[in-house]
Amino acid sequence: MSTPDLTQTPIDADGSFEVHLQKSGQTLQVGKEQSILSALQDAGHEVPFSCSQGVCGTCLTQVIAGTPDHWDMFLTPEEQTTNTQMLICCSRSQTARLVLDL
Amino acid sequence: MFIKNTWYVACTEAELEALGDKPLGRTICNEKMAFFKGPDGRLAAVEDFCPHRGAPLSLGRVCKGHLQCGYHGLEMGTDGKTVQMPGQRVRGFPAIKAYAVVQRYGFVWVWPGDQSLADESKMPVFEFFDNPAWAYGGGLYHVKADYRLMIDNLMDLTHETYVHANSVGQPEIDEAPCTTMVDGDQVILQRHMSGIQAPPFWQMAMSANGLDPQAKVDRWQICRFTPPSHVMIDVGVALAGKGGFDAAPEHKAYSVVVDFITPETETSHWYHWGMARQFKPDDAAITDKIRTGQGGIFNEDMEMLQLQQANISQWPNRKLLMLNIDSGGVQSRRIIERLLAQENSSEITA
Repeated sequence: MSTPDLTQTPIDADGSFEVHLQKSGQTLQVGKEQSILSALQDAGHEVPFSCSQGVCGTCLTQVIAGTPDHWDMFLTPEEQTTNTQMLICCSRSQTARLVLDL
Repeated sequence: MFIKNTWYVACTEAELEALGDKPLGRTICNEKMAFFKGPDGRLAAVEDFCPHRGAPLSLGRVCKGHLQCGYHGLEMGTDGKTVQMPGQRVRGFPAIKAYAVVQRYGFVWVWPGDQSLADESKMPVFEFFDNPAWAYGGGLYHVKADYRLMIDNLMDLTHETYVHANSVGQPEIDEAPCTTMVDGDQVILQRHMSGIQAPPFWQMAMSANGLDPQAKVDRWQICRFTPPSHVMIDVGVALAGKGGFDAAPEHKAYSVVVDFITPETETSHWYHWGMARQFKPDDAAITDKIRTGQGGIFNEDMEMLQLQQANISQWPNRKLLMLNIDSGGVQSRRIIERLLAQENSSEITA
């Protein structure tokens, strides 16, 4: 039996998910009331951000695996559909694991 | 608190035109607005608040029909949505309030309240604008006084005897009783004087209309208040015994004092005053002469009202008297209070 691929598994009912940072190799848990950005900051990562409400695009991040749940107003609907990038200040995950280019 | 679901005069078209590519910033009913000409040439008004950093958009300039913020170059559209900004993707920028605007009679009218209720068919109608049988001239004063003090002032002209002793005042005004009538949302206060000497302003008007300025006249003042704060006053003199207000045109000098009173804050307002007349409508020199005379007269009111407001602000709890001469203002304020209550109760139930 192989371990299920969490980037293909729907998110937990409690709204939490994990984020794997490809460059640093670190994995963080993102709680229901927490944004990816704040989870990163709590773990000591300095990432660019500004408006924190999905408007300015400063925190735009490439998605390597997993499916984001887009909440921003910066990307067009077409761009959101490609699921290759996301605003980590407000958008979340549809899958139990996201792999980001960080 | 102000009646907001209604049309107010914001400015004249000429005032905005004179600013060229600059917008006009104006506070109306405590709402800060920026007026500018959109890409199709139609006037627009938006909140005077840049969604970027809160700068007043009215400090910027108009660029191809967009209002460019003078701080970082954000370009605002007529609908309150950001059109573009250098180096930014603006699609997620929050919209600001856009106000319904109507250009009519040489004025720019704005609806400060609920935009879903803005209704052009509720614009007031005036026969003397855009009518070749009439001439109109007027001006604008910024008055540091509650707009209702101006309504009080205009809905009783007893004060002319004292404030305007050298132009339209005369003791006979005090001696002629006034009658006040309420008709729906309109208040009509009138006063008629018979067989008197015309005061200086009306002697000038009689001369201009080919009448002997020294002849005895019948004089009238009919003040009409309509919500939210418009006061139109029929004023004039006719040669004595010719029927007064109803006298044939050749026997009288007659006009309508036009007052559009737009609240700015609780203690200040924009006062668009003017006079519409039927005699010699093509004579621009008379229009100028009347405007100068009226401007001087209304400046006397402004001084009085501003100092009255200062007194009232210093002693806000002092009770003021409402005398028989004040009934026009009292009734007008009652209508304002009733409409305010209606507007606020419908907001709560909505």
